[in-house]
Amino acid sequence: MNPIRLFGIETEYGIAREDIEAPDPVVESMELVRAYLDGSFTRRWDYRGEHPHEDQRGFRVAELAQDKEEDLYAEQDAHRPFSFHEMKSDLVLPNGARFYNDHTHPEYSTPECRSLKDLIAHDRAGERILWVAAQRRNHALGGPMIQLYKNNTDFHGHSYGCHDNYLVERALNFETLARGLMPFLVSRQLIAGAGKVGREAQERGFAPGGFQLSQRADFMEVELGVDTMHNRPILNTRDEPHANRERYRRLHLIVGDANMCEYATALKIGTTRVVLDMITGGALPPCELNSPVQAIQALSCDPELSTLVKQESGGMISGLDIQREYLNMARKFFIEIDEETTWILQEWEQVLDLLERDRWQLVGKIDWVTKWWLLETFRQAEHIGWDDPWLASLDLEYHNLDPERGLFFGLEAEGRTTRVCLEQEIDEAIKHGPLDTRGGLRGLCVQRFGRDITSVQWEGVHFRSQNGALHLDLLDHLEPVSVAQCRSVIEHAQTPFDMMESMTAD
Amino acid sequence: MKYEYVKADRGLERKERPFDPLSKPSGPGDQESGPKRPDTDSPSRDNLMKRMRKVDPKQAEKYRQRTGE
Repeated sequence: MNPIRLFGIETEYGIAREDIEAPDPVVESMELVRAYLDGSFTRRWDYRGEHPHEDQRGFRVAELAQDKEEDLYAEQDAHRPFSFHEMKSDLVLPNGARFYNDHTHPEYSTPECRSLKDLIAHDRAGERILWVAAQRRNHALGGPMIQLYKNNTDFHGHSYGCHDNYLVERALNFETLARGLMPFLVSRQLIAGAGKVGREAQERGFAPGGFQLSQRADFMEVELGVDTMHNRPILNTRDEPHANRERYRRLHLIVGDANMCEYATALKIGTTRVVLDMITGGALPPCELNSPVQAIQALSCDPELSTLVKQESGGMISGLDIQREYLNMARKFFIEIDEETTWILQEWEQVLDLLERDRWQLVGKIDWVTKWWLLETFRQAEHIGWDDPWLASLDLEYHNLDPERGLFFGLEAEGRTTRVCLEQEIDEAIKHGPLDTRGGLRGLCVQRFGRDITSVQWEGVHFRSQNGALHLDLLDHLEPVSVAQCRSVIEHAQTPFDMMESMTAD
Repeated sequence: MKYEYVKADRGLERKERPFDPLSKPSGPGDQESGPKRPDTDSPSRDNLMKRMRKVDPKQAEKYRQRTGE
């Protein structure tokens, strides 16, 4: 089986307004998104295609843990002078990305990408787009009141996500997928953790002191589950393929942190894609863990990486060794190896080696190491302990999108981070979607016929025309050849009606 | 008991019993433990240190968000 490679990242950003003591999060997030659109809100997201209650294990849940809270917020929001669509403020951008207000967080979802290079460029394009929106909003407010954070926690027990998504063949049994992935996901934080000062409990507060690998590990409560806001699972079972349901699944991972390092994002998505390829090809996991939730938290809390976690077989294993087992499996699994996979395996091996013998060489590559290095440097210079509240503030500022304030961006400006994509590739990703995915087709529709679009979904675009409503179905445009054919039609059409006529003629 | 079973509308669901959620992590929580101090005598040190010193020590305390996904 030669699986189609398609992936994307959804990032919920933290938003703060510094001139008001208790800002309204709905209004701030909404106004930020609206600041990015010059015209009116005529394009809408078509929510009919979203099914968060469907479970990959073959059932539909009656309610999610967050439903009651959502209902309460909906009741409060009903008194606001905004409609549902105004509050969501859904934008679909010329690069095929979605930018909107999700649960009071501005969220940027990259268009579907086929290569790591494209994905990194689009993830970074999202940072730039949000920063432009913040600058416009700040201009309207008369000063730098709005700050945005690409992180996953508020240090008070509230977490928000950075989800990575992968197209997976439906023929792959979900239990096999879950079994194959679980130890990998538990230990993935060694290469992809964003680092965090202290510990948190879901909506129950923060304990300062110490440093851990992951921002999200504290919030993982179950192995598998369909919930995303409470009772969070290591492996989310939401069955919302946004593709042909008979043929595909969408693996929707909520366990990961938002990364600032391009290299860490590339390795996170790349290694996950490699492991998915192996599982799809019939490979079995190298180990099974006795208690994945305890393991993910125990590994996160040990930046020395010496903690051992219990296997189902009874033996103990370190996070580094779990990762090494998967890497060794990949070395044997891939016979014909493409350029991207070669890069992933080579860098994966180097990172695991450096984590063991000289981790400071990973400053600028791996977020938790980079943050630890910055905080330890500061802590020693200022003679403060790990429980000093200043360190949590520095942790937060590591993720600030303001190039003049953000600590990561300070490091990047000095050339001390490892880049995966070029600045011109990010500039291009702000304007255009990937050439070889339906994300690019969606963006092209916005560029060419934006005024005629009435609503958009991942699987299609609705238009108005003099001849009535039209629908461009993108459901099956997953292969590059099909995407190229569709792109050519959109490029040559004068109107959406022309476009649909040409599609039908073909 | 490592696991507890919680009743859900889709039947019993295995939920792991978490350990103390607010216990401090190990490693650098102990000021004397952890790897050796990294080399900070780089050209970037002064600029970065200036940027870090400008951060309001109470920034995180003031930062509040609603739970997201």
